[in-house]
Amino acid sequence: MKILSIASRSVFRNWRRTLVTILAMGFSGFIMTLFAALMAGMLQTSERNAVAMNLGDIQIHAEGYRDDPDLYNRIDNAVGLVNKLQQAGFYATQRIYGFGLAAAGSASAGVQMRGVNLKNEVTVTQVHKHVMQGQWLADSDPMGVVIGRKLARTLGVRPGNEVIIIGQATDGSMANDLYTVRGILKSIGEEVDRAGFFMVERSFRELMVLPEGAHEIAVMRPDRSSDLESAAAQVAALAQTYETLSWRQLQPFIARILDLADAQTIIMILITYVAVAMVILNAMLMSVFERIREFGIMKAIGVTPWQLMTLIYAETMIQVVIASSISLASGWSAAHYFQKNGIDLSAIASSTSFGGVAIDPIWNAHVTTEALALPIVFLFIIAAAAVIYPAIKAAVIHPVKAIHYH
Amino acid sequence: MKLGKIAWRNLWRRKRRTLITGISIGFGVMLAVTFTGTGDYGYTNMINTSAIMGLGHVTIEPYGYNQTPSLDKRLQKTGQIRERVLAMPGVNDAIVRITGQAMFASASKTIGGMFMGIDPAQESPEQNLLIRSMVQGEVFSGKDNRGVVVGSKMAEKLNLRIGKKLVYTTTDVYGEIVSEIARVAGIFKTGVNEVDGGMVLLPIDSVRTTLHYDAQDATLLAVIINDQRYAERMRDSISLAERDPQIEVLSWQQTQADLAGIITMDRSGNYISQFLIGLLIAAGILNTLLMSVLERTREFGVMMAVGMSPRTLFRLVVVESLWLAIIGIVIGIIITAPWYVYLYYVGLDFSGAIGEDYSAGGILVDPLIRIRLYKESIIAILTGVFSLTLLAGLYPAWRAGRIPPVESLKAM
Amino acid sequence: MRSIPIYLTILSVIISFSYPVSLSFPQQDNAVRKRAKEILREVDDMWRGTSSHTILTMQVKTSHYTRTIRLEGWSKGKEKTLVRILTPLKEKGTATLKSGNNIYSYLPRTDRTIRLTSGMMMGSWMGSHFTNDDLVKESRMEEDYDPTVSFEGRRNNQDVIEFTLIPKPDAAVVWGKVVLTVLTEDYIPLIQYYYDEDMNIARTITFNKIKQMAGRPRPTVMRVVPADKLNEYTELIYEKIEMDIKLSDAFFSLSHLKRK
Repeated sequence: MKILSIASRSVFRNWRRTLVTILAMGFSGFIMTLFAALMAGMLQTSERNAVAMNLGDIQIHAEGYRDDPDLYNRIDNAVGLVNKLQQAGFYATQRIYGFGLAAAGSASAGVQMRGVNLKNEVTVTQVHKHVMQGQWLADSDPMGVVIGRKLARTLGVRPGNEVIIIGQATDGSMANDLYTVRGILKSIGEEVDRAGFFMVERSFRELMVLPEGAHEIAVMRPDRSSDLESAAAQVAALAQTYETLSWRQLQPFIARILDLADAQTIIMILITYVAVAMVILNAMLMSVFERIREFGIMKAIGVTPWQLMTLIYAETMIQVVIASSISLASGWSAAHYFQKNGIDLSAIASSTSFGGVAIDPIWNAHVTTEALALPIVFLFIIAAAAVIYPAIKAAVIHPVKAIHYH
Repeated sequence: MKLGKIAWRNLWRRKRRTLITGISIGFGVMLAVTFTGTGDYGYTNMINTSAIMGLGHVTIEPYGYNQTPSLDKRLQKTGQIRERVLAMPGVNDAIVRITGQAMFASASKTIGGMFMGIDPAQESPEQNLLIRSMVQGEVFSGKDNRGVVVGSKMAEKLNLRIGKKLVYTTTDVYGEIVSEIARVAGIFKTGVNEVDGGMVLLPIDSVRTTLHYDAQDATLLAVIINDQRYAERMRDSISLAERDPQIEVLSWQQTQADLAGIITMDRSGNYISQFLIGLLIAAGILNTLLMSVLERTREFGVMMAVGMSPRTLFRLVVVESLWLAIIGIVIGIIITAPWYVYLYYVGLDFSGAIGEDYSAGGILVDPLIRIRLYKESIIAILTGVFSLTLLAGLYPAWRAGRIPPVESLKAM
Repeated sequence: MRSIPIYLTILSVIISFSYPVSLSFPQQDNAVRKRAKEILREVDDMWRGTSSHTILTMQVKTSHYTRTIRLEGWSKGKEKTLVRILTPLKEKGTATLKSGNNIYSYLPRTDRTIRLTSGMMMGSWMGSHFTNDDLVKESRMEEDYDPTVSFEGRRNNQDVIEFTLIPKPDAAVVWGKVVLTVLTEDYIPLIQYYYDEDMNIARTITFNKIKQMAGRPRPTVMRVVPADKLNEYTELIYEKIEMDIKLSDAFFSLSHLKRK
């Protein structure tokens, strides 16, 4: 196309000026992409931290259990239900709870014992990765327990110390046994920190005389980006008479906080876009207006206004295309890098506040198609919009005026 | 300086370009102010609210109490310590309290929880969140009677009303089990389930008697200061003044490490976001300045030909970028001011989005977003704007100085 | 924190649930009170003696389980008690020692002795309808309540005296009032009601099967029924009671706790 070749020649003739403009646009796009990816990553990390640490996406309980946790109010045939869920494609694990007293030396504290099914639990939550001291539970060590951070402090124990548990078993007899602290968890949440006492499932059942049944089934979607509500409905259909709730219903406050953060993120991105728009507007305006004399001469030698406008647009588009490629390439590689490695916030923050917190201070980006595509679309739109005014001006201005324009 | 005037006029030769760049800087200022200011307000709010939940901004405790709390560790002669602390500048209040674990029983049920022994004369709704959240009855009148103030959830579970009795059982200083009776004088509701279901207020002297403490013993002294940012400094001054191996002075960052962690992470995220946007604006400034240099190639060539040194040209462009920064800041102030005033006095109300339960990890979150910009933040933002603009101007300035006179005359 | 069901055995309440008794002397309030207290103490001594030794069976029926355990216990004065489980085998050897204000438990399965803390006090004792706190508080009934006679005469073909005990304002007890009915003869208890502060019955204790033991007629079966769960109960059945036997202080020591 004739126009295109003229346009490209003119673009490359003033390569310095063009370069500056392209770089400005490309850099803007790069920032937008990186920013969007980081924001998406932050939301994902927050949700993951809230949910994947302990809660799971969806939980099943016997009716009334949550309001009044009673050892006897159980889900019967928990194993069967877990199997059904797994066959339907979900990750699921059963948990049993009991309350008792833990004593070590002269210190004692009330605890919530949890019988953990090791095989299934690791498919659903990340707790096993957040042992601060010592190790996670193991079937080979039935008397080894993993306890919460604050509980360890109250009892004054470290891995290797013994703890005695006293409680009331299902048959009314006094349950008591001696356990060894195998690991201490990082900070997971208030309840677990203060009173969390994790045991191997088998040991719990023996201690509390509870051969079957479970108090809670935690479920995780295989694909975390699928719709939560429909997944919950699917699980509810399998769980039938038991109560099924999504994490949003279990922790409505966290859900709202994340939604709020989501909204804030969108606002921030919008603001970023506006800042970008300013930059590009400036660049485009400059690049046209300072060539107005040139355009005036072209008009003087017979170029029609329409052709002039098309030319300007063609030049703009070429620049935007190049800028977009730069932005896409650099944006994607940076976002990808931060997706894998993440920014280590603890380096910026004071180090002491991160000791023992299960929330990773590492901020990972999350590359989404929106993060990559939207900035480019935006670049095109803004650039096109920005050139309208100068292009029209260039098209209609009287050649003599143009030559004298300044 | 002559250079200043020339630079100024240069900028205004291209009104539109200068204005647009100025607006983009102004916009960046508004962004920085908004996010830093609302962040600071939010953090300050969270810190202050959490301080009045019991431990204060700075806490004076018996040595080792923070790690392993137990009722045999206690502070002595707290009256005198309190007087000394109150005399220190920046201290708003110093409150003596006793905290511990106990079982609470009524005829229907028993629950475990915590008690806070307080002296009503030292406490007030401003310094004590539980008192501020009272919904029924009132705080017991003296520090040595048999009143108790319970949370709404505990009242529900134990079937308590104003006037009904509660028996609490705990372990005294000798490790022996002791029980006492108390009658409900008031009920509070914070909205945080753990607090409403697990905390009570008791008169401090009654607690001292029950626990067999001495007259001035306590387990903590909560210090409330005027400006939460000085918490660590205050901790250090108190530590120095009280030099006592039996005592430990801690700041809220230490007593509430989780809160500190959340705030730090959020703030870091905030800074990174602002940095990115700052880069963006800097790119725009660079673009503008570079373009303006490139188009004045001939002009600069002529100036150098008649004797102007490259260094002067360099300085000229630098001064231009400085002016640009100033223009940007002025525009920024104009844009931001009304928005800031709105946020300061009215604020954005998100309570619709959050609903009833305001607790997050046991800490109340205020759904109203307001702004508070500290002097230090203002200085930081201004410094940031200047630095970025200057930085952006360096390359164009250098280019300006490098133009060989003959070449430039050829350029068109 | 939830309530913690922990066991604690203190024999005093089993052997001698304090039966406050006062004679009915119309109109002379102060004298009546003084007399009631004296009789209370007398009865207390009657049940506790200077020392005692008992063997009994406890049966608990709740909606979730039924269990039976056999216990042996000793007491000396008001302050020292030692209780040991005889059957079932799983819990045999579990022992509790109360010495003054200190309570210790020995758990044979883990071979550990723990000292009771306040957190354990409100839990049910051995899965029964008694709380640990009941057992501690029992020996203080005289200090904690003001007794009056609320009825004296014939009821159900028996001569009975009914006492109403109101907790003193400073007493650390959860009940609103306690009403005890005894036979006029020998002051044998028949039935005891515990009321909450709203004057609703919270639990009922009935006494049956009067037999001659350790020199006087005593009820040998005691049944506790909670008011909110009428199909549940805890029943104590006394097999053997010995009074005023020789027991040394060393008998009530921590080391002795461990002996099987």
